[in-house]
Amino acid sequence: MSPNPLLEVTGLKKYFPIHKGILSRHVGDVKAVDGVNFTLGQEETLSLVGESGCGKTTCGRTLLRLYEPTAGSALWRPAPEEPAVDLFSISESEMRGLRRDLQIIFQDPYGSLNPRVTVSGAIGEALRVHGVASGSELDDRVEALLERVGLRAEVSNRYPHEFSGGQRQRIGIARALALNPKLIVCDEAVSALDVSIQAQVINLLKDLQEEYSLSYLFIAHDLSVVKYISDRVAVMYLGRIVEIGTTEQIFTSAAHPYTKALLSAIPIPDPKRRSKHIPLTGDVPSPINPPKGCHFAARCPVAEARCRDSYPEMRQLESGHTAACHLL
Amino acid sequence: MTDEPLLEITDLATYFYSDEGTAKAVDGVSYKILPGETLGVVGESGSGKSVTALSIMQLIPQPPGKIVGGDIRFKGESLLTKSPEEMRKIRGNEIAMIFQEPMTALNPVYTVGDQIIETVRLHRGLDKAAAHAHAIRMLEKVGIPSPTTRVDEYPHQLSGGMRQRVMIAIAMSCDPSLLIADEPTTALDVTIQAQILDLIRDLQNETGMSVLLITHDLAVVAEVAHHVAVMYAGCVVEYASAEELYEKPLHPYSIGLFKSLPDLAGPNERLVTIPGMVPPATRFPSGCRFHPRCPIATDLCKTEQPKLVAPDSASGRVVACHHLDEASKL
Repeated sequence: MSPNPLLEVTGLKKYFPIHKGILSRHVGDVKAVDGVNFTLGQEETLSLVGESGCGKTTCGRTLLRLYEPTAGSALWRPAPEEPAVDLFSISESEMRGLRRDLQIIFQDPYGSLNPRVTVSGAIGEALRVHGVASGSELDDRVEALLERVGLRAEVSNRYPHEFSGGQRQRIGIARALALNPKLIVCDEAVSALDVSIQAQVINLLKDLQEEYSLSYLFIAHDLSVVKYISDRVAVMYLGRIVEIGTTEQIFTSAAHPYTKALLSAIPIPDPKRRSKHIPLTGDVPSPINPPKGCHFAARCPVAEARCRDSYPEMRQLESGHTAACHLL
Repeated sequence: MTDEPLLEITDLATYFYSDEGTAKAVDGVSYKILPGETLGVVGESGSGKSVTALSIMQLIPQPPGKIVGGDIRFKGESLLTKSPEEMRKIRGNEIAMIFQEPMTALNPVYTVGDQIIETVRLHRGLDKAAAHAHAIRMLEKVGIPSPTTRVDEYPHQLSGGMRQRVMIAIAMSCDPSLLIADEPTTALDVTIQAQILDLIRDLQNETGMSVLLITHDLAVVAEVAHHVAVMYAGCVVEYASAEELYEKPLHPYSIGLFKSLPDLAGPNERLVTIPGMVPPATRFPSGCRFHPRCPIATDLCKTEQPKLVAPDSASGRVVACHHLDEASKL
């Protein structure tokens, strides 16, 4: 971890209010993200992993202010010597300018491309809006981007439905790259793709990272992909990070019981090594009314009385490796 | 396990006709399932694995679809010559099926109990009270906590994992000899996936049923399957025991699939990819359908489709490739 990270997130919270009744009274909140801290270095890939509803996607979208944060700060330092800006306290128009640096690729390339806009329209829009290029220069830029992501330049006048899922994801990547960003949030960017296509897109993302000095916030649930692509991994459970460390630390010396259970559940593609799962009973508790103790206590195989009474602090295990568990 | 297969598919062809041409979704598929075993069918989107399963159940919408060739034999009898009436007695009774998305497969306006009761009253002729008791027993069997209250709940009140358990309870309620599971864990989180796979395996050990597991996930197959059929573009390209296949895949496509998996245990080498993509079913290439993406294809591969042949006579393994010697060096 560098002393001047690209992004430093502290106390990030995102609550979605619940309204009920004829007067739409505010009756509670879905605490989707409830106090998340992490840093992301230059040219680093940090993965956020966890099961459905743990808040990993909300985290990524709140960072880009696609959702307005409830609390917290996100210090953005585009170059190590420059002063940092808090993404959460700047105005919307300032944020719009900063979006050149912060881009996102979505899971579903079908849903994230407008079916009535051609490929060149989708990729070129950002260049036009930010006044980066126009006319024939814009066409050249779009064609160069298409070729960089492995599509032929001639396809620029086609519509999204004429492409396969993998090709559409390449279009999504080209669009995210168009403004030469520093950070790309990859929200389940390879989850919907077939194995052979997924490998192609993963290789592409890795190549682009080197070429354009990109940082990735990689949101995913497939842990074998995460292990392959990440420098560091943060494991989320019910709105909070329960363990964070380097990929090596998480995959070889996981400390939190949830991380251990999650890793043990990964199926291994070798019939001779059928994995021994740590069975987790029950379901994830409701984010509307999370338990006051450790959120994982109800499903944890080693939970004690104190786990139900108070939420454990994040504790450092070794340099760069912290976890929130009373039993460490 | 006896050698007499429970289900045997030979040269099955299921086509879909549309204005854009004929989609040969399944075109010459052969595989068999032995009693009590799990066959894993793997392949990417559009390889025809689900259409094969729907053909077994005769749930192909007709038109536009039609089974145009081959045979499906279940317990020694052809399913293709059965009347709709006879098929109804087999479906949900002797052959049951579960799907990827349990929320769309369950009826949202009936309680989960009603949906189990419907199945057993229809096939087993139980009266209401006996069927209700049976429903509770089934929910208990698939590990749903407090089944006596859950039986009266609606699908939306359950989590994704619970809904898949309910689907399995419905499928198991008539004690089928074959369970077809079409991507049963794809929509589930990895910890829930592990629970569901364990459940299917436990039920299989208990009842001795056969399982046809359709998935795109090679790791899931490795966890549960005894035999594996690898499908590509409407054909089976390799059929082998799970140990043999994972030890050493022989078909260039199978080899490519394994190489493109990120390895959880090994070092992070660059992923080897298969160039190009699966062709659409209306425009399958001539000859071997994998030849445009195959690193060792020759002119022979462009013109002549290879047949499934046994590379050695000892095991039941079959592979469809003209150049097995070259492929073994990949």
